[in-house]
Amino acid sequence: MIYFIGILILLITAFALLPQAFEVLLTGSTITKVFDFNPLFGPVDFVLDPLSAFFAVIILIMSPLALIYAKGYLKPYQDKGKSINSHVVFFVTLALSMLAVVTCQNALGFLICWEIMSLSSFFLVIFENEKKEILNAGVKYLVFMHISVIFIIIAFAMMSIKAGSYDFSTFSMVLANNPHFRDVVFLLALIGFGVKAGFVPFHNWLPEAHPAAPSHVSAIMSGVMIKTGIYGILRILSLGGCPSKALCYAVLGISIITFLYGILYAIGQNDVKKMLAYSSIENIGIIGSGLGVSLIGIAYNQPVVALLGLAGGILHILNHSIFKLLLFFGAGCVYLKTHTRDMEILGGLVKNMPKTAGLFLAASLAICALPSFNGLISEFLIYFGMLKALSIKSFFAFLILIFAVSSLAFVGTMAILCFTKAFSVIFLGNPRGENASAVKEDAPLTMLCPMGALAAFALGIGLLPEIIFKTLLWPVITVIGNWHGIGFKHALTPETLSDMLSQQSTILSTLGFTAFGLVLLILIFAILKKALNRKVESASTWGCGYNRTLLNAQYTGSSYVSPFLAMLKPLFKKVFDVKKPKEIFPKSAHFSLHIEDIEEAYVISPMVKFDEWFLSKFEKIQGGNLQTYIKYGLAFLILLIIGSFLIG
Amino acid sequence: MEMLTKILNLIIVLILPFLMIGVIKKTKAFWGGRKGAPVFQPLFDFIKLIKKDFVISKTVSFVFSLAPLVILACTLFAALFIPLGTGSAVINIEAGLIIFAYILGLSKFFTLIGAMDTGSSFEGMGASREACFTSIVEPAFFMIIASAMALSGNLTFDSLSKILVNAGGYGVLIVIFAVLALFLMLLIEGCRVPVDDPATHLELTMIHEVMILDNSAFDLAVISYSASLKMLLISSLIAKLIIPETVSAVEYLGFYLLVVFAISVITGTIESSTARLRMTHIFEFIFVMSSFALIILSLTVARMFGG
Repeated sequence: MIYFIGILILLITAFALLPQAFEVLLTGSTITKVFDFNPLFGPVDFVLDPLSAFFAVIILIMSPLALIYAKGYLKPYQDKGKSINSHVVFFVTLALSMLAVVTCQNALGFLICWEIMSLSSFFLVIFENEKKEILNAGVKYLVFMHISVIFIIIAFAMMSIKAGSYDFSTFSMVLANNPHFRDVVFLLALIGFGVKAGFVPFHNWLPEAHPAAPSHVSAIMSGVMIKTGIYGILRILSLGGCPSKALCYAVLGISIITFLYGILYAIGQNDVKKMLAYSSIENIGIIGSGLGVSLIGIAYNQPVVALLGLAGGILHILNHSIFKLLLFFGAGCVYLKTHTRDMEILGGLVKNMPKTAGLFLAASLAICALPSFNGLISEFLIYFGMLKALSIKSFFAFLILIFAVSSLAFVGTMAILCFTKAFSVIFLGNPRGENASAVKEDAPLTMLCPMGALAAFALGIGLLPEIIFKTLLWPVITVIGNWHGIGFKHALTPETLSDMLSQQSTILSTLGFTAFGLVLLILIFAILKKALNRKVESASTWGCGYNRTLLNAQYTGSSYVSPFLAMLKPLFKKVFDVKKPKEIFPKSAHFSLHIEDIEEAYVISPMVKFDEWFLSKFEKIQGGNLQTYIKYGLAFLILLIIGSFLIG
Repeated sequence: MEMLTKILNLIIVLILPFLMIGVIKKTKAFWGGRKGAPVFQPLFDFIKLIKKDFVISKTVSFVFSLAPLVILACTLFAALFIPLGTGSAVINIEAGLIIFAYILGLSKFFTLIGAMDTGSSFEGMGASREACFTSIVEPAFFMIIASAMALSGNLTFDSLSKILVNAGGYGVLIVIFAVLALFLMLLIEGCRVPVDDPATHLELTMIHEVMILDNSAFDLAVISYSASLKMLLISSLIAKLIIPETVSAVEYLGFYLLVVFAISVITGTIESSTARLRMTHIFEFIFVMSSFALIILSLTVARMFGG
């Protein structure tokens, strides 16, 4: 019952706000609603400007889809007698608070909504709170979120003290006039929001929290919620203008490290959801690199670079939320049917779960930025911005951009490695164990329909890049449009942008043509092949003359990526679990490889250990003895009296 | 004229890949003291395969039959972005490099999952190696082309021919290293000796050939054709770098064919004179290409920002 009310609330919100959001996106108008929360902290502005509208569209579309999907996913838990009511309530709270975060234009209101968002997602993560490791992951998530919020609070407090008001619109004056102050605020915001978004080295919560949460929750967290971090950074930029050159380079540099780090670890994972979490880190890096390129373009007065980089970055936010939701949903369907997230014991699911397999394949193609799907469009814009920026006459910019281009290419091929591994180990070949061979039927329709819708979005954006690009112009203008005069020579207005756009239009239409052409060509060849009408004989896979299928001799995920990981040995901490065969007729043997995060192993864990050791020194203070506590109270009173004498 | 160049491009795309393989085989036969099969033999093989019936594994799914179609479509489509015999690409746009590379990426994706679909450990091995090698080749390729494009001040493939003439002594050096690097890429991506031996007969040592062990008839024909077309595309880039832009259209075609056949003969000669590298040494071989890319980058920087 609560479940249906939840869906109803989300759908009504979506239908009420989507038309307005689209109107704002296309016309560049703003809608303001003022709520008066007196006497707490005065009137609070909720503003739907193009930047907010873009994020609002993502939130409004993705949340109902995820909740519809949740029905099928939570059914086994319900059958076991677990109540999902509170879960649904927290889910709706999360969706609405995200919506509030991206529209609220008041520092205090923003922070309150931000906190509600973090807390409700924490409760969603610990859905299976009877399991200890899930509770641990949840607590880790909570700790990281509060480290993040400290930096955000400091940034906002600095601005509001200087401006004398909590309103965002008053901040821009303060920021525009003080370049050093702006850099400090931007740096703080970059760290604070960076933790939420998952930039390396603040990413550690992602690979823990995502596998712990139910699939639709990890989907929403990874696809939508971490993007509020990006929103925060963009909002600060839109208020304050371009930071100093060093910070522009820093954004690009951190992003490059983030996407390389993310995909390297994604390749090493055998837990499908952990893999997807690392791949989210990679995609946040790609979004950040678009932003970084755009900032460098601004710093060197290159409007085309600024437009392409930022448009690519913003579009990638939408794209990533589409295919990452789809991938998490796919992983959820597999988990529902096989009860495992370990890819190594799956295989051959394509035969009994063909629809899930097809949708997962579509999402894999999209996330690898391959043609006809949406990923290519945004990555292309970012690449194009980088290549255009090569004409900047600065030695340092040239070097970092060339490395950015080739690392993005490196990431592209590694993504192919990562997702061919995931798709083929889960779905192709023969089942590697009981979990996979026991699957008899595909996931229910309530789960497949949202996935189908997402796949359609992915394909649609890939086929119609020109139309999509037009909706990006206003968000771009919102972010960088008012920087004219503060370190940027060019005024970006709709006219100048569409002027630039018409110069690039052949390229966008070529992208669309490529997407259509490839699909058409494949269809033509398929018809040709059919028309040949050759006989098909069925046989077993070639095994050097051995005709039985050897299930255990199949390539596993670990073996598939092992040459690659061997090449990059120093970047990982490998944990082996080996049981060698001993006797002449060995009864059992076992080998498994687990890749551990180096930051986790060498930075976070020692830090936590030190913390535990340090804090344990203070355990005596709180001994649980009532007399001691009274003693503390007495000592405090005496101190207070002496103190007041000294001061007074 | 427009029509003529289109027809010419089509003929080149359809015939030249077979001829390249034919010439390579002829060269090998020459060094081996044999007469060898006619240079059109790969084309005859293609037609023969098309006529055959399929034998398909019981393990495979729709992916396996879809893969050859995607591979063929992608490779043909990628050819539109590369300047072939006419010296200008059919779709000559800025940043065509990226679309070109990602279309080939799609074909690579399907090559890999097509191989994994059979559930064979050999094909898994081939896929694993192929994926790994590509991931090293691709960044180097991007670095080379992006440096070259930055130097010529234009982001199209057609502008590659400007470097030799316009960039002075540095230009000559860059072209030399770029040609060497692209030739290495051709050996790696085309799966030729010393990276991979297309004529080997032991599954454990194969890379590309092992991935198509279970393909037959039409599927096998189009995959082999696509592989050789990819070699032609890389050769075309080499030709574009070497041939200066001052030559006329007819001269360009002549030079182009010369370059393509020269590359085939050199490849054949290498295959006759060296053995395949040990699997562990292949990485070192591929990293030679990466180091060439770094040399090109530093030369570009020296040219653009040096005194």
